[in-house]
Amino acid sequence: MKPHINEDYCKGCHLCILVCPMKVYEKGSRISKKGAILPEVSKPEKCPNYKKKVDEKLTCEMCVLTCPDQAINFLEG
Amino acid sequence: MLSMQEFFRMDRWPNSYCPGCGNGTVMNCLYRALRDVVDMDKLVMVGGIGCSARIDGYVFADAIHTTHGRAIAFATGIKLGNPELDVIVVGGDGDIGAIGGNHLINAARRNMDILVLCVNNWIYGMTGGQVSPATPHTGISTTTPEGNQEYSFEFVKLVAECGANYAARWSIAHPFQLIDAIKTAHQKKGFRYVEALSICPTGYGRNNKLAEPAQLFEYLKSKTYILKQNGTHGSGIAVNLDGKFALGEFANRDRESYLESLKKQEV
Amino acid sequence: MREFLLGNEACVKGAILAGCRFYAGYPITPSTEIAEAMARELPKVGGTFIQMEDEIASISACIGASWAGVKTMSATSGPGFSLMQEGIGYAVMTETPVVLVNCMRGGPSTGQPTKPAQGDVYQAKYGSHGDYEIIALSPASVGEMFMLTIEAFNLAEQYRVPVMLLADGEIAHMRESVEVPEKINIINRKLASPGIVKEVWKPDEDGIVPFPVFGKGHRVYISGTTSDIYGYPSTVKPEVHEAVVKRICDKIRKNAEKIWRYECYKPEADKIIFAYGLPSRTALAVARDTDRAGVFRPITLWPFPEKPFGEIVAGKDVYVLEMNYGKMLYEVERVAYKHGAKSVSFLPKLGGAIHTIKEVRKFVGVD
Repeated sequence: MKPHINEDYCKGCHLCILVCPMKVYEKGSRISKKGAILPEVSKPEKCPNYKKKVDEKLTCEMCVLTCPDQAINFLEG
Repeated sequence: MLSMQEFFRMDRWPNSYCPGCGNGTVMNCLYRALRDVVDMDKLVMVGGIGCSARIDGYVFADAIHTTHGRAIAFATGIKLGNPELDVIVVGGDGDIGAIGGNHLINAARRNMDILVLCVNNWIYGMTGGQVSPATPHTGISTTTPEGNQEYSFEFVKLVAECGANYAARWSIAHPFQLIDAIKTAHQKKGFRYVEALSICPTGYGRNNKLAEPAQLFEYLKSKTYILKQNGTHGSGIAVNLDGKFALGEFANRDRESYLESLKKQEV
Repeated sequence: MREFLLGNEACVKGAILAGCRFYAGYPITPSTEIAEAMARELPKVGGTFIQMEDEIASISACIGASWAGVKTMSATSGPGFSLMQEGIGYAVMTETPVVLVNCMRGGPSTGQPTKPAQGDVYQAKYGSHGDYEIIALSPASVGEMFMLTIEAFNLAEQYRVPVMLLADGEIAHMRESVEVPEKINIINRKLASPGIVKEVWKPDEDGIVPFPVFGKGHRVYISGTTSDIYGYPSTVKPEVHEAVVKRICDKIRKNAEKIWRYECYKPEADKIIFAYGLPSRTALAVARDTDRAGVFRPITLWPFPEKPFGEIVAGKDVYVLEMNYGKMLYEVERVAYKHGAKSVSFLPKLGGAIHTIKEVRKFVGVD
């Protein structure tokens, strides 16, 4: 699975970019409807959860735990 | 295990916090700590006034948003009114430690059966960034424009010394330990205090050249260290003199709780 | 059954009979006996007493316990009453039933701790900030300390509002015999229907919102911030705040006639003495000996019994007795002149001095 960012919740704080130990995220160029500079999931294959199936227990969830807006979800992909 | 929808009032999302506010991270940790064990029909969230206190309105349980600083006193009444209730107080450094200070130390002394989650972001965030008793020495705020001449409170040490059954401090950069501390506290009786060092990029960050959430987050993490077992922290008094924050358990006791001693009297 | 009781103790007796099972308070002369009696008596009936660290904590704990479903009370005097004002505003805003006793003493400030006064009667209505209504009762005997405390609990539960019992320090500390009745009428708050309550602030037809006790699965968010009907903060739209103010005020204003309690003695007389609490005993003693003076004694100071008082003052001289430098006087002047009274005169007593029968007869002009 891949991390998915909810564009209605994300406020562009970029803490996910900072805390991810595998550098999966980077600052993107798209701006959400709310005016947030969205992070981009640029290296999903580096994520320890990449090979897992949806609903399997996550190996690493630093981004999910840290995101102040509960905007990150792991989905099929 | 409760889902996010069962634990939070998801109809209120996106939450009203600033980008990068640590409150959201604390909420995640609160959820993880409670989702397997809490009875949502018995849970009562009690918050004072301030951004952190507003966490009380994001949890899908009975909640009461009280007057500034008095959440702990309200919580005392709620718990004594119905001891079956699971009472959790949530608030910031100003609400709990400044205006609420008297209630904090007396509730700890009484070992009142409530859990207090103090989100310490070093500032009065909601009102725009004024100094708090937790603002680090030399920190800039709107009411200390030349830098804070005072030294900050080590609330966790104070509460530990007041006889609380549990007093621990972690930070939003240590989510796993924070989750465990809340879990441990939730299982105990008596007065339990968990402090989460957090960030306010808008109120503290911007005034101190740490406006980017990631910047302030890294700065906070760099100022923390994990307390060794049986180690003494920093200055040895409940005042922070060296600008470093020890993290860990400052008290973990099983002193007779208020309700336990009340029960004894009934016999 | 007849009992010889101290005013403060009669108050506690009434409270416990009314169903009070939680007291959080702080000692202050001349109310301390209430806390002490509660500490002795509450545990005997399965209630909880706690002496808090200050009056602010006391009212906070009382409001908290009320939300846990328990009838609660606290007692204090002037300085403590001042501290409680923010909490009172919170109780009003959240429509929390709670009973507060103020054994009034000489003020302002520390004043005369052991002397009676009536200086706080306006503070009871206007002490907290913003627009609101409360109910305030004035006992004039130990018997009324007992009965009106029960009334206070019933009114608090019925109208979901803080009710103040404004006793002066002398009534609190005097001893009289009281007939304790066998049966007492008790009113309990209207409870919310089972299940999750979405519309937290939707009143019923009678203007009263059903009370969602904590811990019953209602999952309500209660706040002192101006909120929408779901309990969520909504502080920008004028119509939301207007609806809140009207809800908390109208339930008292529109039901004022049902709430008014007063005593009218010889209302046909040409002279009407207006007095409440301790001075009303002097007024009644004067009026008993003459047909030229009657007494209007408000038992509810707030809401002020405007209609029953207004009905008896047309063309008459009104004489106001108060143990303060002018408080209810202004309400009396407003209502009396509006209803065509001829004159309103005032005889204040300060410093704990008491109106004597001789001087009131002279003041009213019946000697």
